[in-house]
Formats: sequence, structure tokens, C-alpha cells
Amino acid sequence: MTDVIEVRNLTKRYRDTLAVDDVSFTIQKDTIYGLLGRNGAGKTTVMSILTAQNFATGGEIRIFGEQPYENTRVLRRMCFVRESQKYPDDAKPHHAFHAASLFFPNWSQELADRLIDEFQLPVKKRIKKLSRGQLSAVGVIIGLASRAEITFFDEPYLGLDAVARQIFYDRLLEDYTEHPRTVILSSHLIDEVANLIEKVLVIDRGHIVMDEDTDAVRDRAANIVGDADAVESFAAGREVIHRESLGRVTSITVLGALSADDRERLAVAGLDVAPVSLQQLIVRLTQHTRGDAPIDTVPTPDEGALR
Amino acid sequence: MMTTDAAAPFAPSSLPRTPSRTLSVVRMQLINRQTYIWIPLIILGGAFLLALAVYAMLANAGVTGPKYGGGAQAPLWYFGVVGIQALTLTFPFSQAMSVTRREFFLGTLLTAALTSSILAGIAVVGGLVERATDGWGVNGWFFGLPWMWEAGPLGALLVNFVAAMLFFVIGFWAATIYKRFGGIALTFVLVGIGALLIAGMWLIGRLDAWASVLGWFSTVGVVGLSLWGLVLAAVLAAIAFLTLRRAIP
Repeated sequence: MTDVIEVRNLTKRYRDTLAVDDVSFTIQKDTIYGLLGRNGAGKTTVMSILTAQNFATGGEIRIFGEQPYENTRVLRRMCFVRESQKYPDDAKPHHAFHAASLFFPNWSQELADRLIDEFQLPVKKRIKKLSRGQLSAVGVIIGLASRAEITFFDEPYLGLDAVARQIFYDRLLEDYTEHPRTVILSSHLIDEVANLIEKVLVIDRGHIVMDEDTDAVRDRAANIVGDADAVESFAAGREVIHRESLGRVTSITVLGALSADDRERLAVAGLDVAPVSLQQLIVRLTQHTRGDAPIDTVPTPDEGALR
Repeated sequence: MMTTDAAAPFAPSSLPRTPSRTLSVVRMQLINRQTYIWIPLIILGGAFLLALAVYAMLANAGVTGPKYGGGAQAPLWYFGVVGIQALTLTFPFSQAMSVTRREFFLGTLLTAALTSSILAGIAVVGGLVERATDGWGVNGWFFGLPWMWEAGPLGALLVNFVAAMLFFVIGFWAATIYKRFGGIALTFVLVGIGALLIAGMWLIGRLDAWASVLGWFSTVGVVGLSLWGLVLAAVLAAIAFLTLRRAIP
């Protein structure tokens, strides 16, 4: 597999915070990546540096083997519409799409028209008067119809209702199948995008804490539920990243793939095994209180915490 | 770790070379013609009609002497605002269009030059009509202010063009400083420039040189003044470009 993006020791320091801390990773060609993490984890910063919209404090990036800053050859093959994208004053969506058609060599007006229709986007209304969801739709349409070789989506679903989000996921997958490209999708609606993404990159407080195939991640942990004593005896010697009890019933999340042996033991003990959702796993890996509590001592997770 | 593979395929077939992305920036700026063309024209037309109405009222009231109005400068202030918005709003958008800062800068200045030329052209045509009709029949002068026309229509064209460019560049320059270094820095710069101007005036007064300074202005003439204005615009544009090179949308 060819790497289209290579990042080595990338660091970004704002006045008093370290937004990205010595991060290294690569992005493969024609693959959909989920760039996941909490708000403020550094997702947007990383994407803006990769597209030369922002500047690194240290480290090195290579896009298609080249440095992207002021490099038309590289930039024209990428598309990054920010979540808080600004548009020219008095611009209407159709102006923005017309502009995109000038700059993205693979722009598909046909796809744009279809998406405008499906999102029911008013193309002749001024962008600054659009609702949050309609504003997101403008960015999503530019991102999809540009068919750029590397496309970044920065939390593209903000304000979109469930139907519109599904349209986005469906069209992305559909168009990706016909026109393979590299997609980097930043999101904190992890379970919604779990079926879409082939690779998971989790960024947490400026560090990459997970860089794996989505399928491998799912096997990384399991939920064991059942009688408290039996669960505890199974848990002995394993890394438990989460524990919940209700009366005699305990549920734990253990790290590590289960072996055939383990499964037999669980069956004999009458314990249930449930898969851990991607979201649960990532929540538990990136959950910490303000201090730096070790993962397994943190109290009950609140899935909403990741929102 | 480095893959040369990814760098190589700039296959002409898959990547048609667009003639110039700088020209595409001009087209992008003009997609919505309202900003650069219609609004300045509406402002100019509105100011002109208002001035004409006032001249007519004065003529009715029996004022027969020449009447001069400064309304032709009205679109210039708007050009300053357009210069600001070109940076605060259109620059971030151009970044989403994967345009380099250099392409954005050159294309935007080219757009400003284009629209400044249109505005200057209209002002000169207006001035010629004004002369032919002896101030629209009421001895009222809107475009053809004497000092602007002292070097003829070409001089008037130049001074109108430079004035519009200068206003645009000042707005653009100030907005780049603001974007890159923040409001406080811009305030300090503007106050600093104000202080320098005052200090200069004090120095001129101290040297008793006002007569020679004003004399210089009259000897250099409208063309010389325009060319100095162009130099100032070029300097500000160069500073804006260097500032923009590290600006974040």
C-alpha cells in the first residue's frame, strides 16, 4: 500500500498549550480513516497543518512525498472544508460550488447537483443566513463533489439531522467505491461512522493513542457479564479497563483478544460475552479526569462525555 | 519510510494542468459580481444622483457659480471595506479551495486592479460628459474636479485608479495585520503611524517648511502624486503579502 501522507514528530504549540505533541503516523492511499478524539484533542489542528492552512511548530510532513506549503501540485489534490468554514460575504451556496469547480480538477457537478437536491439545500440563499445544518451541507457537498485524492471532513455532520447524516454516509461510501480516494473523517459520533471507516486514528490530548484497522480494534476488548464472583475470577490477571456492578451481576471490559480457551472457560462459568462497540472502547481509552487518573480507576463512563 | 511512489504519478491524464489558478482566483472573486462591481457602481451612481439633485436645487435658487462635490470618493470607502473582507472572509474560503497564499494574493490584487480600472474609466467618461455639458447644464462638477483634471483625461484616469487601489490595499493590509497579529497589534500599528504623521507635521512646522512642502505638492502635480500613491500601495501590498504568508485562516 502506498502512503499518501507521512507525518513525523509533528508538534504544534500554541502560546501555553501543546495541541499536538510529537505525533507520527502515515495515511494509506484509497482508504477511509476515522480521526477520532474528544473536542480539543487536536483533530482540526492536525488536519489544518496537513493542508498547509496552519503551521507546525516542529516535525515534518510529506503529502504525496512533498511538502504542502504553497505547493499547488500537492494542494490541488486535497480538499479540506473546516467545520467553522468562512465564506465570502454575500456568497450563496451556488457561488461556493462554482468556485470549487474552478479549483478542484476532479469536480463533479452532477454529484453536487444530486447532493443539493438530497440535502434540500437552498442554493440561492445567502450562506450567512443558512442554518447550522445547511452550512454543514455546503461543506459536505464541496468535500464529496471535489473528489480530491485526499479529502478531509471535519465533523461534517454538525446540525445535520439523522436522515441527512445517513445521506452523507451513504453517498460517501457509494462515491468512494466508484472513485477510490483517501478520506479522513474527524468525528466524535464514533458508532455512527464505525461501519464506514477502515482505519482508526485516535488522538487524545495531542497524542495518537490508537492507529489500527477498525476490525482489529473491535477485537481488542470484550465485555464479560455475569455472576460477580465468576467474573472476578475470570478477570484475575487481565487488564480491566472498565467495571460496573449491579447487585450480584458484574460487567467488565477486558483488554486483549479472547482465545478459544477463554471462550470455553466463559461458557463453562455461564458468563456472557458481548462485543465492545468502537465508541465504548475509545471512550474508555481516552477517558480521564482533569488530573491524570489511570484508565481503570475512572468511575462509571458516561458516553455523553465524548459528545 | 519515504515512498517515492506517491510523489511520481503526476500523470497528465489524471491531472489536467489548469492554465492559471491565479486567474481562477480572479474568477472566484467575481463569481458574485455584487461585491466588486454592482455595489461600487450603485454607490457611485447614488452619490452622483444626489449631487446632481443638490446642484439643481442650488441652480434653482439662483446660485450660478461652479459647484463642486466630493461625492465621487464615496465608492473608495467601500473599496477599503472590500479590501478588509477580501482577507477576513475570502482568504479563509480560498484556503478551503486549496489555493496557495501567493495565488490568492496575486489574484485578489488583480481583481482589485480590474475593478479599480472600471471605476476609474467610469469617472473619466463621466468627467468628459461633465465638461461637454458644462457641468450637466447647472455648472455642477462631480467627476471633473479641477485638480484631478489638470493633466487631462489620462491623468484623471490614473488618479482615480490609484485612489481606488490605495483604498483597497489599505483595507487589505490592515486586515492582514489584524488576522496575523490580532486587534491590539493593529491598533498599535495604526496609532504608531498616526504618531509618525503628527511628528512629521511637527518637524515640518519646526523647520518652517510648510511652504515648501505645499509647494512640492503643487509642483509634483496630479500625475506625480498618483505615482507616489502607487508606490505607497506597492509597499503596503508587499507588507501584506509577507504577513499573509504565515497567516492562518
